[in-house]
Amino acid sequence: MPADSRRINGPEKSISPYAFSKPCKDIKITEPSLQRKDGRNPDNIRPIFLKTGLITQAQGSAYIEQDGTKVICSVYGPRAVIRKEEFSMQGQLTCDFKFTTFSCHNRRQYQQDAEEKDFSVQLLEALEPAVLLHKFPKAQVNIMVTVLQNDGSVLAASVTCASVALADAGIEMYDLVIGSSARISGATILMDPCATEEYSDKDSAHVNNGSVTVGLMPSLNQISAVTSKGELEFEHLNKAMKHCVSMCVDLYPVCQQALAVAMETRINADPKT
Amino acid sequence: MAEIHLSDAEKTFIIHGVQDNLREDGRGCEDYRHLEIETGLVSNTSGSAKIRLANTEILVGVKAELGEPYPEKPDKGRLEFFVDCSANATPEFEGRGGEELATELSSMLARAYQCPSCLDLRKLSVVEGKQCWIIYVDVLVLEYGGNLFDAASIAVKAALFNTSIPTLTVSHDEGHVEIDLSDDPYDVQRIEVTAAPCIVTLSKLGHSHVVDASSKEEACCLARLMLGVTEKGTVTAMKKEGSGSLDTSSVEDMLQTGRRVGQALNKSLMEVLMSDDKVGKKQHLTGFLR
Repeated sequence: MPADSRRINGPEKSISPYAFSKPCKDIKITEPSLQRKDGRNPDNIRPIFLKTGLITQAQGSAYIEQDGTKVICSVYGPRAVIRKEEFSMQGQLTCDFKFTTFSCHNRRQYQQDAEEKDFSVQLLEALEPAVLLHKFPKAQVNIMVTVLQNDGSVLAASVTCASVALADAGIEMYDLVIGSSARISGATILMDPCATEEYSDKDSAHVNNGSVTVGLMPSLNQISAVTSKGELEFEHLNKAMKHCVSMCVDLYPVCQQALAVAMETRINADPKT
Repeated sequence: MAEIHLSDAEKTFIIHGVQDNLREDGRGCEDYRHLEIETGLVSNTSGSAKIRLANTEILVGVKAELGEPYPEKPDKGRLEFFVDCSANATPEFEGRGGEELATELSSMLARAYQCPSCLDLRKLSVVEGKQCWIIYVDVLVLEYGGNLFDAASIAVKAALFNTSIPTLTVSHDEGHVEIDLSDDPYDVQRIEVTAAPCIVTLSKLGHSHVVDASSKEEACCLARLMLGVTEKGTVTAMKKEGSGSLDTSSVEDMLQTGRRVGQALNKSLMEVLMSDDKVGKKQHLTGFLR
């Protein structure tokens, strides 16, 4: 990766002091009856705050908060594709996913790292099936997603946030895409995991330790994104996916309501439009 | 990916064929194309493998070097994947053209190998917190003929199987730690890869799905599901790729097929690698790109 010459980057190599601290004993999440650290049951999700139209210059924008996870997304376009080589009769979608440098436990760099690039692609592939691309030929829509605070389930929150922002921008879509994620630990499935519950490869080597993220278009019953991490047996994976799908269905009215509220305020503010 | 232009009629022909379990090259929906694997080809590497899956050709070189472990994982070695989509494969890869595909492939490989059970990184630790083996896995795409991910993952597994790391002896002496490298070039350790995953890509064509799609079939396919499957039949990584979406029930079917095919693939790959290993180096090969 080329060095970033425009910013003062601080010491070339620095390490968060937490790297040297003893890892806190893995929360015992194998017992199904056990309550989670934040008092939730395994099936409970965190309270969601969703609002559109925060960024006034953008055609559409949305902000989602799932307790400690805070994501903001703006949508620009459709606007003309400038480069001639990129001409296409189908509209183009671009996605730019970024963690702010201070959003995670360890500091991140300004430039997109491999994980952020991976998330950008996954986000794009989650949203592409939902958008009516043929409605804006020779044009592109840019989606910018910024994570302000990361407390787990970031990709799922970003998918929801970005699809609501697209809807807010008036981009024609077949359906909203709702994201949800689950952590699998043995027989337990924890919905909407927070950062300490999320899977990392530091965890024990047992089978059935991992996480799943699903993007669903609820009214079409189509899965537009699915990713998993960690070694999982098929039965557990299937079960976790089913849980995720039902969580997406539960979230659907929340997103619809947020959009309805935004539309109402828009109409009330300017009755002519 | 390499661009193939197909007319609508050709696409319909391929999709209808797949629905009757007959593909454009005569295969069934769950059949792989002919696969050739060779290991130990590049002398300057710790391990290498070359795979030819019909028209897809991939060369993998593994290099083991000593370095510092990550501070958050002091007792583990490191495994790093790099993918180079060379412009030889297709002109679109020229310049930065192949970069996106390369990062996608390397992140998928890294994710599939991330779980502790499939490759024990603890064995690669030399001095905890100070020195460890860093295994650099470099994947070079020489020719692109569809199903790059599966081919790359098979080649990576074969190359890791072929990898031998020199044995080190660590001696503690008055607070100093000394690392000695064995003089005997045959005093080496192997990496245990039996539990390592292979990626199986399932491409949705019409109402059915196929494994090992050719580039023509890839051009007809809107959504793919990639699975990292181990010999035990567990999934280590999953990902949907492509601009289409999948029905919830078809994802379940694809998972079932993926497990079945992945287990069989892993099993036969290990058999081939084992028997190849027993025979050892037979003759001096020239012109490995035949």
